[in-house]
Amino acid sequence: MAQTQTLALVEEIESLVSDKLQVVSYKWLSRNYMISSNEAKRLLQEFVEKHDGGLEVVYALSGWLKGSHPSYHIRLVTGPKLAEAQQEFDGNCSIQVYSVQASIPKDPAVLWNAEFIQAEELFKQPWSVDNCLRDNRFCGISSSFVQRNVDGMPVVAATPLTKASVGIGQTKMNVLQPQKNIAHDTIPRADLKSEDVVKDVKSESNGTGSTGVHDQVNKPSEDKEKVVPAGKKKAQSDKSGSSTGGSLASFWGRASAKPKPSSVPVESSNTVSNHNATEDAQASAREADGSGDDDNQDVTVRRSSNRKRRVVFDLSDEDEDVVSLSSPELPKKQSSQDSKQKDNKSSEKATLNSDTKRENKPMAKEEKSSDKKANQPFQEELSVINKCTNNGKSSSEKPQSCAPDISVNKDSTKNAAPGSPKRRKVMKTRIDERGREVTEVVWEGEETEAKKADKVATKKSENNVSTNSVNSSSGPATKKTPAVANTTGKGSKKTVNKDPKQGNILSFFKRV
Amino acid sequence: MGMDSEKNSLCRLQCSYASLDEAFEIGKETYRGQQYSQIYFARLHLMRTLLYSLVSQWKPQTPVCTVLGLEQGKECVIVGTLYKHMKLKPCILDEYSKERSAVPLVRPHNFMHDDDYLVLEDESGRVKLGGDLISPSVFVTGIVVALHGKETGAGDFSVLEVLEAGLPPQIEFPLKSREDKYIVLVSGLNVGSSDSNPLQLQLFIDHITGHLGDEKEQSIASQIVHVVIAGNSIGIPRGLVNGQNLASKDLSRIAEPIKELDILLNQIAAGLPLDIMPGPNDPANFSLPQQPLHRCLFPGSAAYNTFRSCTNPHSFEIDNIRFLGTSGQNVDDLEKYSDAKDKLEFMERTLRWRHLAPTAPNTLGCYPYTDSDPFFIESCPHVYFVGNQDKYESRVIKGSEGQFVRLISVPKFSESGVAVVVNLRDLECHALSFGTQFSS
Repeated sequence: MAQTQTLALVEEIESLVSDKLQVVSYKWLSRNYMISSNEAKRLLQEFVEKHDGGLEVVYALSGWLKGSHPSYHIRLVTGPKLAEAQQEFDGNCSIQVYSVQASIPKDPAVLWNAEFIQAEELFKQPWSVDNCLRDNRFCGISSSFVQRNVDGMPVVAATPLTKASVGIGQTKMNVLQPQKNIAHDTIPRADLKSEDVVKDVKSESNGTGSTGVHDQVNKPSEDKEKVVPAGKKKAQSDKSGSSTGGSLASFWGRASAKPKPSSVPVESSNTVSNHNATEDAQASAREADGSGDDDNQDVTVRRSSNRKRRVVFDLSDEDEDVVSLSSPELPKKQSSQDSKQKDNKSSEKATLNSDTKRENKPMAKEEKSSDKKANQPFQEELSVINKCTNNGKSSSEKPQSCAPDISVNKDSTKNAAPGSPKRRKVMKTRIDERGREVTEVVWEGEETEAKKADKVATKKSENNVSTNSVNSSSGPATKKTPAVANTTGKGSKKTVNKDPKQGNILSFFKRV
Repeated sequence: MGMDSEKNSLCRLQCSYASLDEAFEIGKETYRGQQYSQIYFARLHLMRTLLYSLVSQWKPQTPVCTVLGLEQGKECVIVGTLYKHMKLKPCILDEYSKERSAVPLVRPHNFMHDDDYLVLEDESGRVKLGGDLISPSVFVTGIVVALHGKETGAGDFSVLEVLEAGLPPQIEFPLKSREDKYIVLVSGLNVGSSDSNPLQLQLFIDHITGHLGDEKEQSIASQIVHVVIAGNSIGIPRGLVNGQNLASKDLSRIAEPIKELDILLNQIAAGLPLDIMPGPNDPANFSLPQQPLHRCLFPGSAAYNTFRSCTNPHSFEIDNIRFLGTSGQNVDDLEKYSDAKDKLEFMERTLRWRHLAPTAPNTLGCYPYTDSDPFFIESCPHVYFVGNQDKYESRVIKGSEGQFVRLISVPKFSESGVAVVVNLRDLECHALSFGTQFSS
């Protein structure tokens, strides 16, 4: 370090200590001025030598203690006590300047405050930033095997999603920004965990424990991370219309650990489902499955056929991780076994169900299983649904159902899946008969019909008929919904009932 | 990583790591409303098979019989689960008894009483144990032993000799001389509680990550290959978690310690591999085996491949040296119901009984397993540690077949400022203490 630089820093230290009365510890110094810890300690040593009076110095002594039991001791002592503290050590102990400050505080922990505030600032930086806290670059020991997974959640929305099929989603993603980093990160990490643990055990048992292993571990997790964030972003982009409360709550819901890789797609689809994503980030949900391509096509197909907001992706979420919009706790996946994320406007489903029975069956199956495998039938269904869509039915119905409600009404991605028995808790906003904007948490799918007992009976019956198998699971889900509705107190009114607008959906069909 | 002209030539050593926690993870188990008889049955079965094989060498001439098959005056060997009847053991029925007995409802620290007696139970029945050789103060409910004795006229079983399962077989300790590699055990960080000293903890982190100290010290620190945090890392004020709804300002009081811990763990994980175990005061489940702390609690640290959240109890292998440890609940519970000269003796007993937590599920919360008992120790560890104890103690015990185990009692760091460092080369350990008192 150049002499001048040293001098400049020394002066700065002086001003900090004397004028601002700050505690300057070597760690704080190193992080602030981007110098290594050893260098910072040397600097403080020089400073102490140059400025003898008026400042308190805290030294760090370390060495082996005298005594029968070997004990390595490290302690902080103030200047005056240095000599006597040295006596306690057996032999040589290393003395280093720990910090300089204007006066010694009564509570030693005060020394730590400035450092911690700095650490906290570094900690809060965006995930992708590799700062000195995160890579421990100023310590005296290099650890090359440490790797940090920066999940693919870009801070700026413009980052292209690795597997994001939804090109449409991109634009929306640009809008979203309020990323709850923590909430977001948990999900990819949750996936990571399972992957890591499994892989770590295997790899480490081989006795490598080296970077190579970690690479393998990191890669798939990173992929997943990228996928999930994509989904999340999309979800967020849609916040505008839906109640933000729902989106926030969905974070918690999503934060539950999903040990299975399938959780990734599920999660993304979950988030999507909760938010009205015009792009239907369902694509993201699909991606993880690897069926992304199909979905994309589906999506595109859908779009062409009348603003399909709903993507069949919803079907794929057999995995729970249901975004319980109302549940602030971090639900373990078991929490909502039966609450699939399948968003289906019940009304649409009703019509769809009646139209496409065969789709229902695979969907019913899906509902039951919580495995990724279920995705397969869904995928097929997607194609099936596509066909249906082309008929101008099912898929188109769903989005349309929203349309008549309000433009604001962004339903969580309802799968256009015709008669998909997927139940999904969705936030739906609409204008009720009195002209108020109502946001409610609604179970799409056969759930909904159970809930909307007072709603269009025809639809219900249709749904019931078509999704008998799912009714059992819908039971608990139904119970949940009122609870959900009650708890999602985001300031919007919640009504469990589908409003009479359901009728409009039919009218939409007629329109088509 | 050296930013200056002098490149730090110190590189951290690495080790191979294998986690053996699978038995302690509950993932596959399903709860169908079962109670605890099944885990006892599984335990009895598991250990009885083992004991039968040992009994044949121990007392080849004496017949083995069941409790119901006891005949008065005839010497035989019986194998079963011990049950200790304790007068002072809190029983829920006491709270409802019409007449309050002299026994206070307030819990003392130790429930032993001179009138405690032992009962041996197997599938067929139970029999009260008498005789001087078996001392109720040593045993607790839940241990499976073999007893040699005979039935007396009073219907008791007078014990002549006791056979415990003994230390399990141990894998070979890798003897090839190698360099010094250290593993640090610490517990009871209690981040966020009023009696924890964050400066002390920061010193600890600075030392093991290599910030503190001169060349010599940093070279010692570079030999630290692993850190295990054995429970009670978070000190959330108890008054807040009493089931009431929290005001939003209280919510941050709960979240602050965890965030602080995450920042601290982040600093450690950025430098070396870290295992964190849940403890009795951590936000994890209550019953043993405690499941790993959720990764979402540590959004910053969990990003590292060096961060590992583990179960309690935790079993792992480093460089082919087997470690087994808990966060203290098993030994603390033993201390309430039996007597020993120090914590290490409790630990030794659990090894000799081949069961990590014999008092589970009787007085220690435990998951109602149906067909296995994960606390049965199948293979003897080389290092057995227990966290959150009062002071640092360590001893080596030897087994009859040449096993040797280093027992370590890890103290609470927030109170003592002491962590334990174990040298993997020879299993020697020493304390690593930190002091920050300025006054006086």
